[in-house]
Amino acid sequence: MSDENAVLVIDKVTKKYGRLTVLDAVSLSLPAGAIVALLGANGAGKTTTFKCILGLTSFKGRISVTGKSVTWSGKDVRKIVGYLPQAPGFSNDDTCHEALQFLGHLRSVPDARVDELLDQVNLARQRDTRIGDLSGGMKQRLALAAALLSDPPLLLLDEPTANLDYESQRELHDLLVQLRSEGRTIVLSTHFVDHVAEIADRIVLLKDGAVALDRPAVGLRAGGGDITVHLNGTSPASVYAALRDAGVKEEHINPMGVSLQDAINRELATMKKEDGQ
Amino acid sequence: MSAVWTIANKEMKDAVRSRWLLFYAVTFAVLALGLAYVGNQNLGSVGFENFSRTTASLINLCLLLVPLIALSLGAGAIAGDQERGTLAYLLAQPLARWELLAGKFAGLVLSVGTATIAGFGLAGVCIAFYATTLDVGTYLLMLGLMLALTSVMIGIGMVVSVVSSSRAQAVSAALVVWFVAVLFFDLVLVGLVTGASLGGRALIATLLLNPVEIVRVLAIMHLEPDLTVLGPFGSYLAEEFGKSTATAVLIGALAVWIVAPISLATWAFNGRQS
Repeated sequence: MSDENAVLVIDKVTKKYGRLTVLDAVSLSLPAGAIVALLGANGAGKTTTFKCILGLTSFKGRISVTGKSVTWSGKDVRKIVGYLPQAPGFSNDDTCHEALQFLGHLRSVPDARVDELLDQVNLARQRDTRIGDLSGGMKQRLALAAALLSDPPLLLLDEPTANLDYESQRELHDLLVQLRSEGRTIVLSTHFVDHVAEIADRIVLLKDGAVALDRPAVGLRAGGGDITVHLNGTSPASVYAALRDAGVKEEHINPMGVSLQDAINRELATMKKEDGQ
Repeated sequence: MSAVWTIANKEMKDAVRSRWLLFYAVTFAVLALGLAYVGNQNLGSVGFENFSRTTASLINLCLLLVPLIALSLGAGAIAGDQERGTLAYLLAQPLARWELLAGKFAGLVLSVGTATIAGFGLAGVCIAFYATTLDVGTYLLMLGLMLALTSVMIGIGMVVSVVSSSRAQAVSAALVVWFVAVLFFDLVLVGLVTGASLGGRALIATLLLNPVEIVRVLAIMHLEPDLTVLGPFGSYLAEEFGKSTATAVLIGALAVWIVAPISLATWAFNGRQS
């Protein structure tokens, strides 16, 4: 894909804290209308990548969003990037409406957009509820609404499914799929590939600050023999038992199907072999 | 609505919600009224004094209280947001760092200023109602000086806040600054005058290093027509500069003190990686 058509271009970005290299010549080019899963263990560089995209920290290399340079137009870039951090920094005393209105004013968004978004993320009834009284899932939905305030073409979601129950995860996934269909590019960071297995179009794995793997998710699923089990009334316990009997490891079984982790591990092993040759 | 005003507005809303503003205003009003009421006790009577005497009594109270509240609030501004996790979130918005700092500064100055005016104002209305003489000009001058001192101290507090790694560290450092500026500096001045035989010009230069002292001298200069009330230092000031030049120098220094800390805080904040 040419860089002109890309929503986000990261070109040889290196970030160091003292002697520690957190990002090592990371390059990515993401198109419009895609969900990209940014995977990696804690400390792999996922959050730092987001900080660089938002222009919150200095780095070597080049990052642009819809052609705007983060280095030279950080404020303009932040206007067209929606960000959902791991722990959204809302004031617990604000109501949902107040919090969004405040952020909306910073983005020059009309107040009517606030109610529209509260409705979109199913928080219309909690409009005047204090944020401190919301559940974890509701707070996450509110943070997503905040990220959508200025109708951005690029969304950065840092561990969006952490602390969410299964039902809330499903709701979030449905919403993200809808946003993708509207042409937005969504980058999801997570260290649990299973959380995004169903919806990701592309998997990017960061390891020690470098891109260890960058593949279309479909290819990985096909090559890795990913299995989705539809229960159809069968008890989950008996399905899990059957999977265990079939040799599937316990950690690879989850309610959303068998994880992509096996496929990714296989891919990495193949790459290592090729490197060795 | 500009980003600076949006941040300032939020800061004021949070201040009202946290109720410290109300507590501060009521405390100020009660102390001002108390001082005005019992001010004549030494003279054998109790009742509301006139504006000038009340103002004079209030100076020392204000010079203790205003820096304390302003420094501690300034110190909590950035370090507190960082601790709560709101700073990174705010910086991820389309907002320049200087806009965030300027907004917080303006919001805090307006909040503390409103509380000071409310406290002073309430006391002023009561005194005006009962007092025999009325010197509103002096009272308003005093109020202006306190607002200037508030701005200076919030700016210094924000410098401390930006360079501190936690809210506790910032507030502790702010208390040290308060102790040095309000209590310790006087002793240093006395020591320099007696021990190092500091000349008048050097003494004035030293005085300009402390905004609390600048405000104190400015207030006394305008309460007392005779500068010798300030002792040898006042005599030197009168002889060397005259009252109007001395006032201009002190006001100029105070203006520098208002601009310099917030500029320094912005510079340090820009250089800091989140």
